[in-house]
Amino acid sequence: MTWPRLVRAELRKISTTKLPWGFLAVLIVVAGLNGSVVIWGTDMDGSKTFISTALDQQSLMAFAANAMIGTGLFGAIAVAREFGHNTVVPTFLTCPRRYRAVLAQFTAITIVGGLLGLVGEALVIGAVAGALPFTDYGFLASADGVLQLLAASTWAGAAGALLGGGLGALVRNVGGAVTAAVVLLFIVPPLVVQLLSDAASWLPDALNRVVAGVATDPVSVPAALAALAAWAVIPAALGLLAIERRDVV
Amino acid sequence: MHELTFENVTKRYGKHTVVEDLSFTVHPGRVTGFLGPNGAGKSTSFKILLDLASADRGHAAIGGTRYRDLRDPSRTVGVLLEHAYHPGRTGRNHLRILADGSGIPLRRVDQLLELVGLGDAADRHAGTYSLGVRQRLGLAAALLGDPPVLVLDEPGNGLDPPGIRDLRDLLRARAAAGGTVFVSSHLLAEVEHLADEVVVLNRGRLVTTGNLSDLQQAGISVQTPAVERLAIVLTDAGGTAHRVSDRELLVRGLPIEQIGDQACTAGIPLHGLAPQIGSLEDLFMEWTGDVERRDAPSTPEETEWEVSPR
Repeated sequence: MTWPRLVRAELRKISTTKLPWGFLAVLIVVAGLNGSVVIWGTDMDGSKTFISTALDQQSLMAFAANAMIGTGLFGAIAVAREFGHNTVVPTFLTCPRRYRAVLAQFTAITIVGGLLGLVGEALVIGAVAGALPFTDYGFLASADGVLQLLAASTWAGAAGALLGGGLGALVRNVGGAVTAAVVLLFIVPPLVVQLLSDAASWLPDALNRVVAGVATDPVSVPAALAALAAWAVIPAALGLLAIERRDVV
Repeated sequence: MHELTFENVTKRYGKHTVVEDLSFTVHPGRVTGFLGPNGAGKSTSFKILLDLASADRGHAAIGGTRYRDLRDPSRTVGVLLEHAYHPGRTGRNHLRILADGSGIPLRRVDQLLELVGLGDAADRHAGTYSLGVRQRLGLAAALLGDPPVLVLDEPGNGLDPPGIRDLRDLLRARAAAGGTVFVSSHLLAEVEHLADEVVVLNRGRLVTTGNLSDLQQAGISVQTPAVERLAIVLTDAGGTAHRVSDRELLVRGLPIEQIGDQACTAGIPLHGLAPQIGSLEDLFMEWTGDVERRDAPSTPEETEWEVSPR
């Protein structure tokens, strides 16, 4: 019965600070921006062709890549601050088998990351749906398409949080962990494309478009899901290994 | 009953040895003070005991079991180390998180908030707490699982006099009930009131350990007109003699009867022979090598000398 109570403690840790509410506020702003783009945005020729088809609207609403970046920062902060505030000490005193404590923490941030991704996507869809009546176009995306968007953002949010959590465990410093997440999700992908163009399909942005159903990459959806999971699990495993081996100082 | 045991514990960070070949036992039913100057290795020793740091050699155990192997650590050992809380979280939620992780009912949190006098501050963010209130929060966390062992690093820091008195009463009661209480403190006067035994570290090494009242009675004042001759005689007999003045020695390591007998055999007159109880502060300075600095004589003629046992 240790596992559920450790996860419950970690979920309470997250919910009793302003961190998730801050990210929720950002999601509301992002959704508002999407709605504004629908109402006031135009293509280069002044038309609104960017919302003229179901696929266009689904592409506009696809939030998974943003969700992964956002929750990457969330996970990095949530784990690294434990070391900054020393709250990792009572955590490891409560559960001296550190891998169990860290796995519980990773589980909690993955759950919350997935939830943030889901809520973020729902807000974006709601904002776009609410803004479309102010244009000449209706809401064209199918129910399946909407479900796929929601599922993709949930998966991306969970993966991003776990990736960030792994970096937080490795770096153990909020500033450093956030920087590492930004470097990994923003700076490394374009460099990889420059050096290895074949690898472009396996970078988070492309994978998230596949999972959201708005890309025609050769990667299948199951392969894209697995690849996104690998992007998350590898840093998490390295972080777990580092925590097991290091002293808590 | 949970004894805390350190056996040949050595810890290095790079080339720096923080703790070296440390062996001692902390007994249940007693309050044991853990003393040493800053950097002596006390915090590192605590961390090794609690499996927050790994020893390079040797091991530490609680009731014969390593901390990480305890079946229910929160209900076995209560710990207060450095402040560990999120400044944006309330004291009540801090304790609830610990209770969740340990499987302790949340009503215990409310009981402890009352016990440590945190009732009014419990729903404020911990970042707004004064040092004393933070300390009370840390004590509440240590007591959450009602553990038989308490390991507390500077628990009196920042507490007001009534708080210190409450803390002393609490720790004494825990020890009287058979608990093991291991407390580090820089407040030597407080340790003198509180501790039954002390463990003293200096530069990572064990300096002394034992019953505090025995250690405090370790010195015997000897009045004699022949301090130099008597010092040599007593040193040959296995004692340690400090020259206090031209007519007085402070002798350790020999019983009072043997000092008298040795002086009589050597034909050295004695004008006084009395046990001396040293203050813990004086003893601490001596144990940690600060006695020369503190008592540094102003002229060469007044130089204090010591003859070590051969």
